[in-house]
This record gives sequence, C-alpha cells and structure tokens, in this order.
Amino acid sequence: MNRAVVSALLLLALVAAGAATAREHNRWPLDSRGVLLAIAKAPAKARAEKNPYEGQSDAILAGEKLYRQKCAECHGAGARGTSRAANLHWRSVQNATPGELAWLLRNGNIARGMPPWAGIPEQRRWQIVAYLKTLH
Amino acid sequence: MSGFRASVPFCQPIATFFRISAISCFGVIIAGFLVAAPRAAAQETPYFVAYSHHLEEPGNLELEFYSNYGTQHRGNDFIAPWLELEYGITAWWTTEFYFDSQETFNDSALYTGNRWENRFRPLMKEHWINPVLYVEFENINGADKTMKEVVGFDSAANHAVPNNVARLEHDHEIETKLILSSDYKGWNISENFIAEKNLGHSPWEFGYAAGASRPLRLAATTRPCNFCAENFIAGIEFDGGLGTTKHLTLAGTSHYAAPILAWQVPNGVTLSVSPGFGLTEASHGFLLRFRVAYEISGFGRRINNQFRSIFR
Repeated sequence: MNRAVVSALLLLALVAAGAATAREHNRWPLDSRGVLLAIAKAPAKARAEKNPYEGQSDAILAGEKLYRQKCAECHGAGARGTSRAANLHWRSVQNATPGELAWLLRNGNIARGMPPWAGIPEQRRWQIVAYLKTLH
Repeated sequence: MSGFRASVPFCQPIATFFRISAISCFGVIIAGFLVAAPRAAAQETPYFVAYSHHLEEPGNLELEFYSNYGTQHRGNDFIAPWLELEYGITAWWTTEFYFDSQETFNDSALYTGNRWENRFRPLMKEHWINPVLYVEFENINGADKTMKEVVGFDSAANHAVPNNVARLEHDHEIETKLILSSDYKGWNISENFIAEKNLGHSPWEFGYAAGASRPLRLAATTRPCNFCAENFIAGIEFDGGLGTTKHLTLAGTSHYAAPILAWQVPNGVTLSVSPGFGLTEASHGFLLRFRVAYEISGFGRRINNQFRSIFR
C-alpha cells in the first residue's frame, strides 16, 4: 500500500515537473539549436558578427559594470533571471553567437517587454556581450 | 537674486512651511536627487525640445525638474519651471504628466497648467529611421512660458503680455508629433514634425525640432565613475515655428539653436544644461534651460508588490 502511495506521489511529482518544464519552454521557446527563439530571430548577417572585445578582460569588467546598471533590474544581480526576464546562464542563451546577443540587445524583444538598447553606443553593447559570454 | 528666489514656484509652499529660503529648498531637492540610491537604466538622449525614439524602459518612473529662463526685448525676463513624471507602461508606450509654472520678474509667479503626453512606437525592431507617434493634451493658460515646443507664429512678444492678462486665456490644445530618430556610430539624430491645434478655435499650427547628440566616450571604462567622459553627452538642437494651415511660412516665426551638455550620474541622476540663442527677430534673444532628472528603476513592480502585500 505504502509503495503504491509513494509511486503515485512520485508519478504526480514527475507529471508536475514535466508540466512546469513544458510551461517554461512555452514561455521561452527554443529553435532547433536550442537557442531562445527571441535571440535566434537575428538575421544571418548579425549572427555572424564577431565581438571586437571578445575575451578582453577590460571589456568583460566594463560589461559587468554596464550589466549592473542596465540589465540587473530585470535579469537579476547574478543574471539568474526573474519572473520577468530569462536566466542568462541558460544553455539556450549561452549557445547563441555573440552577434545574436548583440542583435537582441540592440533590438530588444519589445512585444515581450524587453526594451531595445540601441540608445547606448555599440561599443558598450559589445562589452555587455563579452561579459554575458563569461556566465556559462 | 530676488528673481531667482521666486523663480522656483514649486518650492514656495515648502519653503514657507519650513521657514527656509526657496534657494535652500531647491538645493535640498537637487541634493536629494544626487544622493538617492537605486541604479537606473536610462539610455535617454539629452534634448530639451526634440524627442528621440528611445522610450522609457517599462516599469521605470522618471522624475524630472526643468526650468526655462528667457530674456525679453520689451518686457520682463522670466523663468518657467515645470515638473515632469515619465513612466514606461510597456516597451512601446511611454506616458508623461507635466505640471507647468512660471515667474515673470517684476510681475508675478503662477501655476500655468498641466499636460498629458503619450508616445507610441509602432515598429518592433530597430531600423535606419525609427518612427514614434506622439499625442499630447494640454490644459494650460496663455501665461505658460515653458516653451516645450515652438509652433505657428509663437514669438517673444506673446511672452511680454502681463501675467494677469495672459492667464485669462485658456488653451485646451492637442499636439501631435511625428518623431523620426536614428542611431549611427554613437550619434543620435532626431527630427520631429509638430502639429498643434487649439480645440476651441484656432487653425492647426506647425513647428519642428531636430537634434544631434553623442556621448563624449563611446566605450565604458572598467570601474564605476562619476566624472568620466562616458557619462557626458554633448549635442545641439534646433526648433522653430512653421506657420499655420492658413499661412505656412517661415516669415515672422521664431527659431532657436541650442547646444546641450548632459551629465548622467550612474546613480540615476541626469543633469542637463542648454543655452539657446534666438535666430530671428521674433525669437527671444537668449534662453537658458536646465534639467535635473532622477530615474526610479522597477517603480511599477514595487508598487505592484505593495498592492499585492496589502490585498494578500
């Protein structure tokens, strides 16, 4: 009897976890590469762009500073996401190319509440991307 | 000095209550802005008259205090302070409330009315030129001297009318703008086409505003800093009237050119200053605009949380 109850509870937990995962995936749909669809919408030209600051420690520090000023309010201080914005440690974000991340920063995801950050200079957006790429 | 003392009508009730001078009150407000804690996410352009396509970030509230000092050929100089509350409702819709006042030296100080403005971004992606639609309702009187826009045949002579006469004119106006704005290599270039109508009687009046600006340094430095070049934005803006539907012309209209310097302190405060120069006979000879803004990140979310905790 006990075994049956435990099995039922486990099954219930599994179904609930599955439903939660499905809901999360519905909320943050992915493309075939496992990249968030909002990011994967970037055109091929933008996707192929290289970060001029890639791997530069100064740019990463500057990017971290900018992240705290402009992104942490929604994505959280540790970039682990909030109820309003995605976890930037997710593989579905980290699998994106630097060009795709820079494109998303510039254009935002206006329909889903992320503002475009075209108002900050391109150099600073690349610095933020350099920092984001250290989060994996 | 007496002009400045009385030039801060918003401070007068506070100053009287606490028995301090209006200058002290003004200083306390500015100091309060400067030491306030939360970080802000502002990416705004420094213009006083022109608008760019960058809207307020959703959920953020920006408190802005402006003043417009103007010289008068025939009549008294004036200073027109106003308070502005700007809120990002969504990433494509920003709304603002304005509360205007003015003091004309050797005349009087008065509250001149309020305005409600909305800006909508119709396109969901960045383009070479980004349009924004602007609609504003104004409920002001004829003594308003904020000069948030110049339209029709607005001129310095309009502002020479004594306050007790000018305040009798009630202006219920609708103002629309087509805002076009581009970002290129750190520069922002914005053009605004303005059409305004007094709902009572007048024809449509037209005007324009245009601006260009750029941060003094494009890349950010590694450490937080207040006085580094990345926090300063320099620019210039132009604005003026273009006549009315009955008489579309440049003749007899006012036009201004104004360099701008803005300092965005990382704690969310922005200070801006802009000396403006009249370019035509109908213009004021000199304007001096000043702005202190403070952005509260996540204001909407905080209010929402408060309500949730009350009704839980």
